Amino acid sequence: MSVSPGIMPTSTESAELRAGSELARDHRGEFDRGDGHALPAGPKGFFTDTTVCIGCKACEVACKQWNQLPDDGFVFTGTSYDNTGDLGSSTWRHVAFIERPGAHPTTGFADMSWFEGDDAPSAPVAFGPDPQGGGDFSWLMLSDVCKHCVHAGCLDVCPTGAIIRTEYESVYIQPDVCNGCGMCVPACPFGVVDRREEDGRAWKCTLCYDRQRDGLEPACAKACPTDSIVFGDIDDLRAIAEERVATLHERGVDSAYLYGADAASQPGTQGLNAFFLLTDAPEVYNLPPDPVDPTHAVGAAWRSALVAGAAMVVAVAGAVLSAAGARR
Amino acid sequence: MSGSQDRHVDPERALLSGEGAGQRTGEGNERFPVRSHRTEHGSPDDAAAGDGGTTYYDQPLLKEPIWIWSVPAYFYVGGVTSGAAIVGAVAQLADRRGLDRLIRRSRWLAGGGAAVSTLLLIIDLGRPARFLNMLRVFRPSSAMSVGSWALAATASAAGASAVLPAVGARRLGDAAGLGAGALAPVLGTYTAVLLSDTAVPLWQATRTSLPRFFAASATVATASALELFPALDAREEAIARRLGMAAKVADLVCGEQVQHQADEVARVGRPLHEGASGALWRTAKLSTATSLAVSLVPVPARWRVARRILSAVLGSIGSLAGRFAVFHAGKRSTRDPRATFVQQRAGRGAAAMDGLAGVTGPAGRRATDA
Repeated sequence: MSVSPGIMPTSTESAELRAGSELARDHRGEFDRGDGHALPAGPKGFFTDTTVCIGCKACEVACKQWNQLPDDGFVFTGTSYDNTGDLGSSTWRHVAFIERPGAHPTTGFADMSWFEGDDAPSAPVAFGPDPQGGGDFSWLMLSDVCKHCVHAGCLDVCPTGAIIRTEYESVYIQPDVCNGCGMCVPACPFGVVDRREEDGRAWKCTLCYDRQRDGLEPACAKACPTDSIVFGDIDDLRAIAEERVATLHERGVDSAYLYGADAASQPGTQGLNAFFLLTDAPEVYNLPPDPVDPTHAVGAAWRSALVAGAAMVVAVAGAVLSAAGARR
Repeated sequence: MSGSQDRHVDPERALLSGEGAGQRTGEGNERFPVRSHRTEHGSPDDAAAGDGGTTYYDQPLLKEPIWIWSVPAYFYVGGVTSGAAIVGAVAQLADRRGLDRLIRRSRWLAGGGAAVSTLLLIIDLGRPARFLNMLRVFRPSSAMSVGSWALAATASAAGASAVLPAVGARRLGDAAGLGAGALAPVLGTYTAVLLSDTAVPLWQATRTSLPRFFAASATVATASALELFPALDAREEAIARRLGMAAKVADLVCGEQVQHQADEVARVGRPLHEGASGALWRTAKLSTATSLAVSLVPVPARWRVARRILSAVLGSIGSLAGRFAVFHAGKRSTRDPRATFVQQRAGRGAAAMDGLAGVTGPAGRRATDA
């Protein structure tokens, strides 16, 4: 009986997978002292490496539990192991499961012929398009979260000043100020912010501001068993991420790239403080290919509005003056 | 605050003090029923013609705007407010004495419209009691912030211009009337800027044509409202009719521009052709065009009042339907993730913005290649 390279990586593979995050592991202590002193100010964020995500949803649970978020109904989507669906007012971490034909980008594991060895189930298992259970099939998983954009649409359009940028460069909604106008909801190019209707206010990930103020890393990063979610200083995270991409490219995973790591690769948001390593097109993960903070485009709209407003005055003046001679 | 039950927390054993602990839960309320943010898989509405590339189980990418009916209703009422304030101010400058009745009517229309506008916006808030937070900061990048200040200022001036002459302060009333007229063009057009200040693909695509369309629609609504006043004299009637005809032509032309801009990416413009939003859009065009045609038909003198009323009613319906059409079409376009994907892949995301460029990820990689 041969040891199969199943869904879970083998021990050697696992060590390799983790190699990229060794650096992350080393630097973690610095951001999770738990000594009650606030972390030093400066840009902090998440690097989410989707190639080591195992879809365990510990991040979702840790987030709900730490933040004491209410449930948002129990729905069976019937589409995949993802029964959460998307981010929302009471769901600040969401694990996406992408079931797709083709080999997994990192394990290269595609044909599942290992099912035919001594371990093979006695009856054929329907597992993918091939009824024999072979199937050319793999999963991608991604733990989605608020991106804490450098240019954040939600913050830029908030009329009350409820949405602020913290000393950690994260984007935070102050619940005691928000009046539920709903402007931030469609302004987010990632569909993150939402209003809980019974509550009437907009909510989203706080990057665990309260934990950072107590010298702790965010709950999701703390709970992640594979270090798919790494928390830290943005500059360190970029270095870790670039190293990880280089490692993956060396290993032949050419499809690996960083999503939103800096302003150059995502000009519309000027980069994300919570960025991702992906191995397929952004659309596959329900991420926009070229997101934009909508306020970047609003200048053109204002120019058009001012001309249109002036035209209203001209039209009224024309009507009033031309009617001066109308019969009484 | 309810909710320990929905949190599956025993309140005897746990202190509810987390960042999300203050979030109210329950069964929703009448105005805002609980809505599932998950799409039903393969719902015919959104997954229709599943071309246009891969999505994540046809789930929407963006959150649908949560604004209720009162927002497009405000677009209409705010448009009347804006137009009436301009008519009042211009008439005042042209012939203060001769057009006194028109000026008074315009001022009351503007003042009343501003009051109704404010109420319509407050009932849309998730926390209506906090409406004054709208004036807590001034943020130029937020069209809603600029608009809130514009509405507050216009409403104050328009209200004063209507009320002050009635209590004998005629000069102050005239000054307020001019002030309202000067502020009103912003009030009439900022709502279009507000819509394009979102990631909604349809409103993004129409960001330069929508303000023109809204200005024209506001003017149609104003002229129609003035035509509905009883016993207009010939001069008042001529002003309202001529303003209405010019505005209806502009409305139809700008409406075509909106549709043209939306259709540049077929998937983005789809809600203006299909479903309830498409029907509203066609109703708006038809109603405005009919209103224009009616006002041009020569009739005997005894039929002129009937013609005026019919034209005004059709013009009002056209303006109202146009606002609701744009509002619901935008909402509908957020339900289609491919609208955003295709729009951005077509170079209309950051690549189309001043000083920004680029599409995320390795160039040319498409979901469909996977």
